[in-house]
Amino acid sequence: MDLSRIRNIAIIAHIDHGKSTLADRMLELCGAVDPRDMRAQYLDSMDLERERGITIKLQSVRLDYRDHVVNLIDTPGHVDFGYEVSRSLAATEGVILLVDAAQGIQAQTLANCYLAIENDLEIVAALNKIDLPAADPERCCEEIERILGIPADQVLRISAKTGEGVPELLDAVIERIPAPKGDPDAPLQALIFDSHYDQFRGVVSSLRVMNGTLRTDAKLRFMQAAAVHPAEEVGCRLPTPTPFRSLGPGEVGYLIAGIKDVGEARSGETVTEASNPATEPLQGYQEPKPMVFCGLYPIDGDEYPRLRESLDKLRLNDSSFTFAPETSGALGFGFRCGFLGLLHMEIVRERLEREFDLSIIATAPSVAYRVTVRGGREVTVDNPSELPPMGEIEQIAEPYLQTTILAPSDYTGAILDLCQSKRGEMIKLEYLSPERIELGYKLPLAEVVIDFFDQLKSRTQGYASLDYEPAGYQPGNLVKVDILLAGDPVDAFSSVVHRDRSEEYGRAMTEKLRELIPRQQFDVPIQAALGGRVIARSTVKAYRKDVTAKLYGGDISRKKKLLEKQKQGKKRMKAIGRVEVPQEAFISALRLD
Amino acid sequence: MAMLYVHVPFCPTICPFCSFHVLRPRDDLVGAYLDELGRELGEVAERSAGAAIETVYLGGGTPSQLTDAELGRLLDDVRRALPVAPDAEVTLEVHPGHVDRSRARTWEALGITRVSVGVQSTSDDALRRLGRSHDARTALDALDDVRGTGVTLNADVISCVEGQDLAADLAAVVARGIDHCSVYTLTIEPDTPFARRGVRVDEEVERRAILTAAEVLGAAGFERYEVSNHARPGHRCRHNSGYWAGESWFGVGPSATGHEPGHVRRTNPGFEAWLDGGRGAPTVVADPEVERLFTGLRRIEGVELPDGRWDAEVDRLVADGLLERRGRTIRATAAGVLVLDSVAATFL
Ligand SMILES: Nc1nc2c(ncn2[C@@H]2O[C@H](COP(=O)(O)OP(=O)(O)OP(=O)(O)O)[C@@H](O)[C@H]2O)c(=O)[nH]1
Ligand SMILES: C[S@@+](CC[C@H](N)C(=O)[O-])C[C@H]1O[C@@H](n2cnc3c(N)ncnc32)[C@H](O)[C@@H]1O
Ligand code: SF4
Ligand SMILES: [Mg+2]
Repeated sequence: MDLSRIRNIAIIAHIDHGKSTLADRMLELCGAVDPRDMRAQYLDSMDLERERGITIKLQSVRLDYRDHVVNLIDTPGHVDFGYEVSRSLAATEGVILLVDAAQGIQAQTLANCYLAIENDLEIVAALNKIDLPAADPERCCEEIERILGIPADQVLRISAKTGEGVPELLDAVIERIPAPKGDPDAPLQALIFDSHYDQFRGVVSSLRVMNGTLRTDAKLRFMQAAAVHPAEEVGCRLPTPTPFRSLGPGEVGYLIAGIKDVGEARSGETVTEASNPATEPLQGYQEPKPMVFCGLYPIDGDEYPRLRESLDKLRLNDSSFTFAPETSGALGFGFRCGFLGLLHMEIVRERLEREFDLSIIATAPSVAYRVTVRGGREVTVDNPSELPPMGEIEQIAEPYLQTTILAPSDYTGAILDLCQSKRGEMIKLEYLSPERIELGYKLPLAEVVIDFFDQLKSRTQGYASLDYEPAGYQPGNLVKVDILLAGDPVDAFSSVVHRDRSEEYGRAMTEKLRELIPRQQFDVPIQAALGGRVIARSTVKAYRKDVTAKLYGGDISRKKKLLEKQKQGKKRMKAIGRVEVPQEAFISALRLD
Repeated sequence: MAMLYVHVPFCPTICPFCSFHVLRPRDDLVGAYLDELGRELGEVAERSAGAAIETVYLGGGTPSQLTDAELGRLLDDVRRALPVAPDAEVTLEVHPGHVDRSRARTWEALGITRVSVGVQSTSDDALRRLGRSHDARTALDALDDVRGTGVTLNADVISCVEGQDLAADLAAVVARGIDHCSVYTLTIEPDTPFARRGVRVDEEVERRAILTAAEVLGAAGFERYEVSNHARPGHRCRHNSGYWAGESWFGVGPSATGHEPGHVRRTNPGFEAWLDGGRGAPTVVADPEVERLFTGLRRIEGVELPDGRWDAEVDRLVADGLLERRGRTIRATAAGVLVLDSVAATFL
């Protein structure tokens, strides 16, 4: 296919600025979806995406527009899914940078725009939602010019809701974004930018051909994995997956090569032809470093092997989480998993439960600490229960974040207060305009993980946005707080907190657990302890009375069913020693109001 | 051996706490009811293969809502259809407002051996709160009237009513010479006026009521033989004991349940459908051992543990002080009785 007639683009923006809705209008304009099948955010195909109204996974689609082929990738906006954006950008020559005309530039607008610039991509900026009464296109254009250096007169104005301006935007894409380059006769080099496991077909990969031609039935070599598989099916998503005989340079599509081993077609892999291989693989991806960790355990211990297999398959589709086996005294065999943020953690847990039909417990999220023990040796600990005894610890250093907060200047005071209370250190305070500020803060990651973002939103009525990146480690006055249930420490509840907050934390934790743990046949004392010292306590009182007053013949089976149902509810609980603890108790541990 | 339960769905008024299958008094329906009951007894006769009936329980509802002639016809029908043992226990549930000395004598003459009076409380205030249609005087007189005959006399008492002095209520019924006393903590059944009004019973109040009942009645010479049932020696209710021991019984009348030989359970439909000949479909109880344990644990003397099952569970409950075990017999401890539902749930 003639390279000059191909355009490869991604839509990038801050969360909820309308990327997926814009993709809807483009699908319609290009006649890609039967109007009867059309639904809002068509490309958000996962149940979880539809329920939460956010994009979690990148989605690519091939469109025909004015004699051109436009390969479009819709990306997520939430900061936890940033790795999806960076992988998408490696498959494109340009981006549509979408900005909500009522909200203006937000933290991930900046972050994603810089990412596009780093990748040398052409940027077509567009103001979206101009149909909204609160839209202020003039101010937004000014902001874009001043902050991003994109001339105001080049910024398009559209409504992804009404479709206004969308044809002009596609025209601009064709005019301004460069066509891909590549040599059809060179040895094949194609970059896998996404994969998932299909229970019938094995691994299905999304890829972008850089050089050469990918043909159906060709014998392919997966360069990093050093494996050879035949190309069973090559095709494009239109958006319905449709087989093609071949894909040339600059084209984007999918590949099914009958691969059952999920290790073999990971994102970042280079595919070449076995008979005429490329000499060099393409530059792969730098996998992001996880920031928060938790233990994932099957409620039913027998499901452990299936959990491992499911994690393997899921990781093929989301390589931004990590996992390694661990054991817990309370929970048995499980995995220590690393995530890019709390939302990411929740999504992975939910996907495991839904897509793989598992029931799992997630322990309280933690960050990775660097602990110096007596004698100067340093160890990294991402599970508080594995912290060496306090007496052996010389110093605990915790990870920090460099955060960028954008907000209306009215809220400056409220934000400063919040950051201060979270042990933040101010790096920058800049007025982007008389009404808007940019704040730079160095904050302990652990504080951000807990509830920083929720509080930031509530203190600024939702107007502040936050972006962050890792900023090294700093020593802190940190201590481990243990939680004891009925006298026994429960490793899954251990937490590392700042010493000044330890008592408050202990009180909140014991109180929270008292509410979450159902009453049992005996009193359950709950204690928080620092070292050997109890710093807070509460008790789940036993039932005072739990017996049916009158059980006559006709009532036996009804009553039995009622008790059976109650017992069924307990299946979602984990017995720790003698105490039944519900799933929520584990994850709520760090979510203290 | 087998037992027979007859459900009589008529009541003088419908109490706001009650969830039994009952109708307002409908004199016009009684004839049809008795006719249908006769037919159903015939069906039971075919299934029961001549098994002797050791106990008959006329419950409800309020069987005393029927006239004595109607009661006589009902018992005749029963005896004609089934071989009722000569020494059978025959219980009649009665409303205090229905009792007088002459009726009590008639009941005895009809072969009734046990009369259960729905006293509920001996405080007018508590009776009003319960929405009962009788007062304390009537209830105590009813006990007096039945006591003169040779039948076993039970009083039903409901505890945990606001403002009630349970010990005083129990002392009052004991003083009338009862042989048996059932004391039920007020249960808020779903879809009753009490539930809709949001009436609540405090767990601690219930706990104390259960302990008080055992204490007061124990001191008066009654033996507690089930969670809520207390009897003078020799006066336990054989029919109810049969339920808890896992015996078989036939159930006739609307909404009645039977648990027939071979662990076949049937539950009849409500009045209208039943009158049209509708009957409960037979289902086989999946794990009768579970049921036997579930009900058997309600008996203070305990229940036999089947071989090779639940030993670990029992050990744990024994360690917790909720069960006692002697050989293969297990029984709830004093603490265990108070949380018996969660103890029993262990075996489900
Ligand atoms: N009024 C108006 N609403 C819009 C417009 N575009 C999108 N929306 C609404 O904005 C919300 C977010 O739209 P999405 O398309 O899901 O946003 P997104 O950028 O894909 O969000 P993420 O993928 O989660 O980052 C939805 O409720 C859309 O209906 C627009 O042009 N006008
Ligand atoms: C079918 S009635 C007995 C006879 C008659 N119908 C009467 O009420 O006088 C059975 C007994 O169950 C008890 N009972 C009914 N509903 C109850 C409830 N919601 N809570 C506690 N006991 C209840 C009462 O003590 C009642 O006497
Ligand atoms: S408590 Fe007795 S009288 Fe009252 S409605 Fe129930 S069955 Fe009828
Ligand atoms: Mg989206």
